Amino acid sequence: MRTWYHSFDFWSLFYWLGLVILGLTAIYSTTQGEAHQYLEGSVKNNFERQLVWLGIATLAMCTILFIPVRQYIDLALPGYCVCILLLIAALMFGREVGGARSWVYIGPYGFQSSELAKVGAILAVARLFSTRQQGSTLHIILLAVGLVLLPAVLIILQNDMGTALVFIGLVPIVLFWAGTPLWVMILLVTPAIAGYLAILYMPAALGFTAVLAIALALWYRDVRIGAAGAFVSGGTVAAAYFALAKVLQPHQVARIHAFANPESEEFRSGVGFHLMQSKAAIGSGGLSGLGFMQGTQTQGAYIPEQSTDFVFSVIGEELGFLGAVLVLALFTLLLIRLMQLATQMNHPFGIMVAACTAGMLLIQVYINVGMVLGLLPVIGIPLPLMSYGGSALLANTIILAIVLNLYMRRKEFALYV
Amino acid sequence: MQSYRVTIFVVVILLSTGLLGGRLFTLQIIGRGDAQEVSQGNALRTLRVMPARGAIYDRHGVLMVDNEPSYVITLTPRYFAEEKTSLLARHLGVSDSLVTEKLAEARAWTSYRPSKSFPDISFDQYSRIQEDIFLLPGVDKELGQKRRYPSTAKASHALGYVGEITRAELNAQEAENIYLQGDLVGRTGVERSYESYLRGEPGSALRVVNVYGLEVKSYLEGMGDQAPVSGYDIHLAMDAGVQALAESLFVNKRGAAVAIDVNTGGILALVSAPDFDPTLFIGGIDKERWQAINDDPEKPLYNRASMNQMPPGSTWKPLMALMALDTGLITPSGPGSTVYCGGYHPLGGGRIFKCLGQHGEQNVTDALQNSCNTFFFEVGRRMNISSFKRYASMFGFGLEAPTDIREQTSGLIPDSAYFNSTFARWGPGTVMNLGVGQGDMGVTPLQLARYIAAVANGGWLHEPRLVDYLANPATGDTVRFAPRPTRIPIDTSYFSLVRQGLRLVMETGTGRASQIPGIPSGGKTGTAQAPKGMMDHSVFVIFAPYDNPRIAVAVQCENTGSGSLCAAPISSLITERYLKGHLPDSPQLRLRMERALSAVSEPMPAE
Repeated sequence: MRTWYHSFDFWSLFYWLGLVILGLTAIYSTTQGEAHQYLEGSVKNNFERQLVWLGIATLAMCTILFIPVRQYIDLALPGYCVCILLLIAALMFGREVGGARSWVYIGPYGFQSSELAKVGAILAVARLFSTRQQGSTLHIILLAVGLVLLPAVLIILQNDMGTALVFIGLVPIVLFWAGTPLWVMILLVTPAIAGYLAILYMPAALGFTAVLAIALALWYRDVRIGAAGAFVSGGTVAAAYFALAKVLQPHQVARIHAFANPESEEFRSGVGFHLMQSKAAIGSGGLSGLGFMQGTQTQGAYIPEQSTDFVFSVIGEELGFLGAVLVLALFTLLLIRLMQLATQMNHPFGIMVAACTAGMLLIQVYINVGMVLGLLPVIGIPLPLMSYGGSALLANTIILAIVLNLYMRRKEFALYV
Repeated sequence: MQSYRVTIFVVVILLSTGLLGGRLFTLQIIGRGDAQEVSQGNALRTLRVMPARGAIYDRHGVLMVDNEPSYVITLTPRYFAEEKTSLLARHLGVSDSLVTEKLAEARAWTSYRPSKSFPDISFDQYSRIQEDIFLLPGVDKELGQKRRYPSTAKASHALGYVGEITRAELNAQEAENIYLQGDLVGRTGVERSYESYLRGEPGSALRVVNVYGLEVKSYLEGMGDQAPVSGYDIHLAMDAGVQALAESLFVNKRGAAVAIDVNTGGILALVSAPDFDPTLFIGGIDKERWQAINDDPEKPLYNRASMNQMPPGSTWKPLMALMALDTGLITPSGPGSTVYCGGYHPLGGGRIFKCLGQHGEQNVTDALQNSCNTFFFEVGRRMNISSFKRYASMFGFGLEAPTDIREQTSGLIPDSAYFNSTFARWGPGTVMNLGVGQGDMGVTPLQLARYIAAVANGGWLHEPRLVDYLANPATGDTVRFAPRPTRIPIDTSYFSLVRQGLRLVMETGTGRASQIPGIPSGGKTGTAQAPKGMMDHSVFVIFAPYDNPRIAVAVQCENTGSGSLCAAPISSLITERYLKGHLPDSPQLRLRMERALSAVSEPMPAE
């Protein structure tokens, strides 16, 4: 074997480190400033605890790099089963933290079972596709979807909608890499877009439906695909309209509208508060920010969950547009790098792990930053690698380390084809 | 894997992050202004940073008043949680109802800004609250300042005291809002007269306020903050050592003393007894104490030195002598220079206008030396009431003095209009009484001291001033007051004649027992008749050294008997202390001390 570092991808490690450091910077600013003494006891030591978790994650990464490829393929499905059992255990015996029953404790040390399940699901799905010889059969695809949706259901039962949404978002990713025809993919993501537009602005949703139907029909030269598009999109719009007008309770409608209109008086103290404060923080950052530990929103603790889910607002306020764009750029580079690694691995297991990891990170980044910027409703999920939270940092680092390991040992795949 | 899928996925990544980037651009670059408004409206509070109030020094630079930190607890009603009332009350060691009351007071003023509800709490209470500040939304701590009085001289009437500004005063402010609720202002004395110099200019500081309304840090590291401009320090003309001695001589007495620099009018000492403790007013005096101090029949807050008017008694005789010489009623020498004293003035047959002895032929100096009533009754008989008023005015009597003491009265110098309105019938007898400083007239110790200083310096009437100059330690700026003295239009030779008489008083006359060893001086005793059958008031004036006078002192002691008993030794000791810098021990000193300290004011009758 050649010296390991010739095959190791330092770029990914560099992006990972950059994001982790920016995250720690933001967490430091929220908890270690002059306002430290005024903070609630539960968040005062976030920075120190995250440092400890970073140490654990680094150890995990080093360990993972020494495990041969074979082990991952062999252990993927048993590992998945362990994850499912942990989810069930958390549901039955776990403690409730922040409204969600997703924590498993070993002695005093707790971790979030749903974060670990992300790793388990990705490895299991990849394992499934690594055995297929040629072409994808429908039942393998359905099985893969089932592998992703099972933890999603358990996590919904744990009352953690945000994390479940990440698993649900993983479904189209899996289908995409499994080779599902593109028009089916388009029809799959259409309800999300149409529904979103319907809530924001009904005419836009109707316009989208029309454009989509015509574009599909013209591109595929098939009226039936166009009609399917019109049906799916129009159906979603109609359902959204009907739900908003008839089915949902007024307070549920208010929640949905709040994200679109957080400044209006009726949401200020409730749902809109997060968003209004978050937007005020980010907006006042301007081009270069108010300076490290100088953000008034951050230091005044106006944004709830500012070291966890809203950590991006701290970057936006204190490091400004430049800092926020740097974060987005690092994520973009990391994701694109993961895709490049995927294309260089000649085994479906490796490709699938890398591609699904990229997809899962994309979903989390988009939902989290979209929420912080007021593009999406407030859904409680952390920003990968940056938000305070040990389990998430550990899980995301583990899956990245696995990709790096598979890439580094890509030659070993030839033995197991 | 189909490579176009990778391309599509990369495009999706770029589109997603591009969309987020575009959103960032709209929020941060285009919409920055609105967001700043929201976030600053939330999180920034402008604080007033109070400057240090000016310190007060005596003429030798001895510190008399400065500041020390005081711990203040503020309430912001909007954030205050009512259920925390008893927790706060427990930490402060006060009743729940007081906290509720203070909260209502604060709310009446403003709900959104912190009010200084508990000024001047102990450090202990302060630290206990600091520990629990997180449990007490709307409660904050602040470091304030309070007056400190390190000197042994209290000088409470001269220095005055500071107190919290009242609602009425706040509302009465003109457009410029100099004061806010909780600010301290000078109430009396120098603190009040020089308020505009002492207070300085408040600065401002932006503070980041957290979601609970607590100030957590400075904004942008204080770049936009404005430092306060500290006030001017006051340098008094007062000599703290002389003042302290003078105060100590007034135990068990009501009365006042004023010592003046003969050549500048600077006030070297100003005592009004009984006095008060200015520290009582720190952090707001409570109602019971205020009531007690106000209802005290001895009136400790009343500045007797500049407000107590009583007849001058025989201390008036030098002025009468000057008037008589200047108007020609008596000549300095030759025929017409003497008056015969047979023990009484013939008007009224000897029963009304008595003298203390049979002095025989008396010229001006003899009459002053012997304090001969007959002589001055005769001057009173010969004089015109309007020229009496005119000469009294020349020395500042019957007028408020131009001075930096705000609390003063003009006293009373009668004229014919006054007598016409007061008495149904009045005649020469009424006027003759004025010649010996008795009857319907009133002068203050301040006026007496200023007058005797003018006699001492040969006719220059100075403005009596507590303050010598002001200096701003921050800017190096100084303000000096150099008022020009007024010339009294009387020939200087008459002044020397009168001074000779006053010297004889000290050497062989009624002031003999109060001579200053080694320093020749001029002085005059006086006894003012007290109403209601109480003991007479003792009055004394003195200047020294005789040849080159530097200090003039006037003392009134209420209800202690004649002038030589109480006022004379006190005046003499004050003078000696000033001129020598200390009081060298001698049998002479002990005698004067003994007489000064043993004199006691007859208690005020119960109302």
